[in-house]
Amino acid sequence: MIGSKLLRRAAIAGLIGGIAIIYLALVGMIEKFEARHLIGDWLNLGRLMLALPPLLAAYLATRPRVQAGRVVRLSRGPAITAGLVSGVLAGGLAALWVAFVHLFPDGAVRNIFVAVSPTLLSIMTFGKSLLVGALLLVVVGAVLGALGGAYQTLPERLRRPLSIGLATTFMFALLQRIIPQLLFYLNLDSTWLYSTTFGGLTPIGAVVVFVVATALPALWASRGQMVRQRVAQLPPARRRTLNVSRLLLLAVVLVLLPRLIGSTLSQVLGQIGIYLLMGLGLNIVVGYAGLLDLGYVAFFATGAYLTALFTGAHLVTSLGAVASPDFVLHLNFYAAVPLVILVAAFIGLLIGAPVLRLRGDYLAIVTLGFGEIARVLVASSWLQKFTGGPQGLRDITDAHIGSVGFRDPQPFYYLVLAFCALAIFVSVRLADSRVGRAWSAMREDELAAEAMGISTVRYKLLAFAMGAAVGCLSGTLFAVQIGSLTPDSFTIVVSITALAVVVLGGMGSIRGVVVGTMLLIGLPGLLDEFEEYRLLVYGAALITVMILRPQGLIPNVRRMRELQEEEVAQDQWLKEEAPAVTAAGGGGGS
Amino acid sequence: MTEQSGGPVETAPRPRTVTLAERFPIHRLTLLAVAVLVTFGVVTGSWKTIAQGGVTGAGWRLFLVFGIAQGSIYALIALGYSLVYGILLMINFAHGEVFMAGAFASYFVAQSLESKGLLDRDPIPSLALLFLTAILVSMLVAVLLERVAYRPLRNAPRLVPLITAIGASLFLQYTFSGFFGSDAKGYPSVKSLNGTFNILGFPVSRTQVLTILTAIVMMVGLRLFIARTKTGKAMRAVSEDKEIASLMGININQVVVTTFAIGGILAGVAGVLFALNFSEVDSFMGFVPGIKAFTAAVLGGIGSVTGAAIGGLILGVAESIGPVLLLTGIHVPATNQLRDVVAFTILVLVLVFRPGGILGTGEPEKA
Repeated sequence: MIGSKLLRRAAIAGLIGGIAIIYLALVGMIEKFEARHLIGDWLNLGRLMLALPPLLAAYLATRPRVQAGRVVRLSRGPAITAGLVSGVLAGGLAALWVAFVHLFPDGAVRNIFVAVSPTLLSIMTFGKSLLVGALLLVVVGAVLGALGGAYQTLPERLRRPLSIGLATTFMFALLQRIIPQLLFYLNLDSTWLYSTTFGGLTPIGAVVVFVVATALPALWASRGQMVRQRVAQLPPARRRTLNVSRLLLLAVVLVLLPRLIGSTLSQVLGQIGIYLLMGLGLNIVVGYAGLLDLGYVAFFATGAYLTALFTGAHLVTSLGAVASPDFVLHLNFYAAVPLVILVAAFIGLLIGAPVLRLRGDYLAIVTLGFGEIARVLVASSWLQKFTGGPQGLRDITDAHIGSVGFRDPQPFYYLVLAFCALAIFVSVRLADSRVGRAWSAMREDELAAEAMGISTVRYKLLAFAMGAAVGCLSGTLFAVQIGSLTPDSFTIVVSITALAVVVLGGMGSIRGVVVGTMLLIGLPGLLDEFEEYRLLVYGAALITVMILRPQGLIPNVRRMRELQEEEVAQDQWLKEEAPAVTAAGGGGGS
Repeated sequence: MTEQSGGPVETAPRPRTVTLAERFPIHRLTLLAVAVLVTFGVVTGSWKTIAQGGVTGAGWRLFLVFGIAQGSIYALIALGYSLVYGILLMINFAHGEVFMAGAFASYFVAQSLESKGLLDRDPIPSLALLFLTAILVSMLVAVLLERVAYRPLRNAPRLVPLITAIGASLFLQYTFSGFFGSDAKGYPSVKSLNGTFNILGFPVSRTQVLTILTAIVMMVGLRLFIARTKTGKAMRAVSEDKEIASLMGININQVVVTTFAIGGILAGVAGVLFALNFSEVDSFMGFVPGIKAFTAAVLGGIGSVTGAAIGGLILGVAESIGPVLLLTGIHVPATNQLRDVVAFTILVLVLVFRPGGILGTGEPEKA
């Protein structure tokens, strides 16, 4: 009743799931995330991580296949059986691993794998003895696997709202620091929704959120078409009003946000803003012009150090005395910013000019070299008179409007908001301009673009300069925010974070960059235990996104086509024979 | 697609439209200016340093030997980049982490050997065991890397696998620091490797002798492997033209995996040598040597074994002597901090002026 091919697939998926569990345990995530309660005290992030691999393995193993141009869906029986197999194998592998660890004397494994603590082992065996715990792992794995397989066979109209409901509940649980704050500020009672002892959702709250979040998309599925049609039929003037009022609403929310969520979380918002600016700048270079820049931190550092030197700062000499840098202006912040932008754009040109003729991957490595050079120079004793060397600069003059300083999180947020709004405006206008079109032509085919009379030299330089100009603003804000700079803040990690933001969100897509920043900067900011695994997750995200969804979460349509060109060409024969395939394979995955 | 074919891509003469940028070729002018500046800087800097005579002859010899040892390690890592680039035309950005993995794995073996006293009692079998562990682990990581992160993207646009490679590099770094702790670990020293030889007036430590000899053996072995064995022949064929090679009955996937495995073996050896020289391992140790080794590969001419050796040596020596030679004379303090700047500047200059490398063709193939 269940084909050997399916069985093989299920087995492989299950084993991968088991390896995933062991990996998460070894790297320390399961134990660390155990402290983050999601729903009451019976679901926490660590346990969710333990549960997801068998579930996902089963779900993916039973996904519909394309065979000879037709989509083949599994019927319920085989799907559940296959899911069961995956789940048992995943749970079983994890159980075997736990048993294996128990073979060694106490602490022997921990000497090598630092995360294998008694706590972790107790989590993995559900606090029971080894035998009972291992059996439980297998049984739980089996149940989850069967669930995953069964979920796959639900009809689309049920599966979609359910998925949205689950995802929303998860998001609500993760946003446990923000939403109660909001409710509190609005004078609403939040104790029924969020548990005061554990921090996560209460069981009742979770059910309510889940039901509402499931019902709404189901409703939208039946009525949404009509609403969309009516909007489309509105006269242009009315539609415009609708758009403007939507923007206004967004603006009001954004302006009120720091008041609503308090000072600590405003700090996170400031952080998001800084990376958003960087992402927007890098998006111009990578997303619009298609030049992979791995040394973007150079512009971040330029912006930060120039702002400090233009507005005034102190450094600590090697003897420990506080002194003025050898070059320092005491400009007003708003006079300094345009100057910083100009200098940064010029540096962008300088870096861009010699590397223009290089092929894409060499360009990436050269820019990486520039980024490292920038960091080492800033930290060196040679330039210590200007940059403060390893100790950096401090007492950077704050930006002011009247007597209001910007260093506190809440006023700082408004400064960031203004800069981000400006950068988004510039990005949007650039994308739709002649320049933007020239960039996309160049990105798609440099030779063809040149043949069409586009000066690739000029547009590449322009991309570097624009990217530098926008990116340096993030450095400027960074200098204002923390008031002191050390070279440690300007490592390659910054460049890669910005790259991850752009890639995850979707290259060339502004909305994508915003979402990418929220996910990659916002979430770790809200969940402290993420901090340690931030870069691990970025790395995994870069790989996964590039393999499964190279266009990013919120793709830029044109860019998406480029990234999938190859794939489309390969699948062409299928489409000609059976149009059903395109509908199912629309995600563009493997 | 010409892009994957690997051979020199023929470009039709480009239609020229005379634009402002064409009449005033900015990049040519900048290149010229950069070239003049660099030459001037190198000449005056070295002249002044030598004229001042702040560094004794013995000092220079020490720097030179250090540079050569360091360069041999770079050369071994560089071969991994070079081989993979030759076959897949992609920069395996995570190769530095393959090197790190080997060093890390051998650390645990070295530690347990040391605690039993075997490291000093039976140095030769112990060292062999260290190398073997490192080779196995590095090979495993390299092959897994290819399977998970690169193979699904073999036909994707060129920048896509580069981005996954960056992701993989980050992922491996933080996986290792999550598994084994993020602190630097002191690598046990081998007693029989302490001590210094005096070769023609050059002071060479035993560790350095081991490093240089091992590197030479590995590289000669690799050359023979590529030149004499059937697999080597297949590798050459695939790097020449993938499609034709597969028509001739060569299993491309197998050749690619072999290439990654060989890169892993060399990186594993380099890992142990690096750890023995610097007595420390941590999960981030692979990144900078990785980029430098890439520089060496490009410097020598990517895709060529001899090129990697030459590039590695030049880079190692330049990095060791360069900062002192060029900068001491013009009164830059703490020149040692600027080692990385010298290396990365070389990277930038080579890629800009001679992307084909010393043994390469001069012009980069345009994709």
